[in-house]
Amino acid sequence: MAESNFSFKRLARDILRNRSATAGVGIIGFMVLAMVFGPSFVPYEPNDMDFMAIREVPSWTHPFGTDAVGRDVLARVLYGARISMLVTIIGVTLGGAAGTMIGMTSGFVGRWVDPVVMRFVDLLMAFPIFVLALFLMLVLGFGIQPVIFAIALVYVPNFARLARNTTLAVKEEPYVQAARLMGQSNLRIMLREILPNIAAPMFVQLTVGFAFGIVIEAGLSFLGLGVQPPDPSLGVVMADGKDYFLAHPWVITLTGLTLMVIILGLNLLGDGLRDILDPRLRKRSMA
Amino acid sequence: MLRGCRSDWLLNEFVVRFAGIARKMEGASALGFIWYLIIRLGGALVTIAIGAVFVFILMQLIPGDPAIAALGENATDENVAAFRRIHGLDQPLPVQFWIWLSGIAQGDFGKSITLAQGYPVWDLMVQRLPNTLFIAVYALVIAVVISFFAGSIAALRQGRMSDTAATSASILGISMPDFWLSYVLILVFSLGLGVLPAFGFTSPLESFSGALVNGALPAFAIAAPMAGVFARILRAALLETKRRDYVTAARSFGFRDTFVYMHYIFRNALIPFVTVIGVQVRYLVGGTVIIERIFGIAGLGSMMVDGAFGRDFAVVQACMLAFLVFVLGVNLIVDIICAFLDPRRTH
Repeated sequence: MAESNFSFKRLARDILRNRSATAGVGIIGFMVLAMVFGPSFVPYEPNDMDFMAIREVPSWTHPFGTDAVGRDVLARVLYGARISMLVTIIGVTLGGAAGTMIGMTSGFVGRWVDPVVMRFVDLLMAFPIFVLALFLMLVLGFGIQPVIFAIALVYVPNFARLARNTTLAVKEEPYVQAARLMGQSNLRIMLREILPNIAAPMFVQLTVGFAFGIVIEAGLSFLGLGVQPPDPSLGVVMADGKDYFLAHPWVITLTGLTLMVIILGLNLLGDGLRDILDPRLRKRSMA
Repeated sequence: MLRGCRSDWLLNEFVVRFAGIARKMEGASALGFIWYLIIRLGGALVTIAIGAVFVFILMQLIPGDPAIAALGENATDENVAAFRRIHGLDQPLPVQFWIWLSGIAQGDFGKSITLAQGYPVWDLMVQRLPNTLFIAVYALVIAVVISFFAGSIAALRQGRMSDTAATSASILGISMPDFWLSYVLILVFSLGLGVLPAFGFTSPLESFSGALVNGALPAFAIAAPMAGVFARILRAALLETKRRDYVTAARSFGFRDTFVYMHYIFRNALIPFVTVIGVQVRYLVGGTVIIERIFGIAGLGSMMVDGAFGRDFAVVQACMLAFLVFVLGVNLIVDIICAFLDPRRTH
């Protein structure tokens, strides 16, 4: 069973051996450190305005320049990345947990539940993902919490489908049958036998989900439907920058570059984890 | 000896192929294909119907009164009541739903309330749909062309410099948010080099070449992340197919490399490549929403955002359904192409 031979030591060793995963962990680690400790090294608050220094080009005092009301863009990006990351991680994790539960139950119970749930999942997956998020923002209202819920809801079908398919693959395994013969309850079998065995692909999906989740957050906030100013998020900072982009392109390009580096780190990590955790690929590389 | 073996095998191959075509002519396979098509089409129609119910129910949960949104906070009660009567908002929900659904069946999506007051939503969509379709197809073509070359080169020269370059470019492309890439492209190609215009899109119905030039930057911005995904899938599929037994067999018969690639490897590797296009359409159409606003393109995406801000529910509803139909339509085409590439699917 996956549970019994899992160890963080081995995972760490596997990550170090995988180039893509190492690069991903490095980038994300750097970004997290910058988000957590960076603001204390930047002598400006994200909403401090300085009308003597508006739209300054990047310099040693303002590495990312300043915006139209003289706020330090680096400070705003560091705080904004915090909000963007938190919103994305909470949203995707919520959606992932709900989707995994729904998909696992659907696959395990079968009967009439499975086709009904899967029809609905198919329907949700036929809507363009960003359009669905935008539509949900209308229903939920604008702001930080609605963005979290919109991202969560958008991700439920992805996780539900994956969890259901992997559950179907594990469901007939001997250890599940053994647990059944022992008279264990369905809930116990799902949580103790099935969940640990479908956890690896879910984990990979989660990492990949973060990568596009942060794009959804930034996109919604960029349009003005997500996180509301003056709270900075990466999308909000970019939206500020777009108004005077032609004269002063620094704000939007540098903020977007930060966003891209975060996404790149998550994608590299996701790729690496997929290679490490996917037993099918592992078997092949051993053969 | 080898020569004889090869021609025998070719003959054999010819017989197998001819038999395949003959079977299709007999109608057995063609009938299976038509059935497959009917089932797929029926499934899509059912999804659209359920989607319509889903959208309608969610629209009712949206806080805020469209009448107040249209008339302003200071509207008198009589005006609000009159407005609600005109737009059918005073009817019970099931009746409203029925009116809406039967209207759609006749090509009537209701009237825009705030965006273009009193203007039929259908007319708005007809004006804007060509622009969105043009940009989406343009982006798809760019993505397919780029990824076809990048993915093939990476797989053919696995482990060499060109593979590393193509693979790195792919993951970089996937990681670029399309709305940020738009600004970078404007910065480089419009402001820096001055070769392509940043704003002012011409409708492809007025001037196709004008739309090609003006649409190049928005289409490329949407295409870049998709090209990355496609190229990776194609590379993986090619490498996977290369290892199959029938490829080894074909090689051992002495077929030239190009022949093996064209007839054995590419044809089979195209199936996952085409399938992923159907999956990516979800992201493609989502991308157009922001991109259309950045480049000032009057398309469905920008219409939906404007409708969302203006609380113009008829417009938002119609756009949701249009996007749903678009995604399902592309997936239907993908299924048909896959059925041609792999006839086993139709059984």
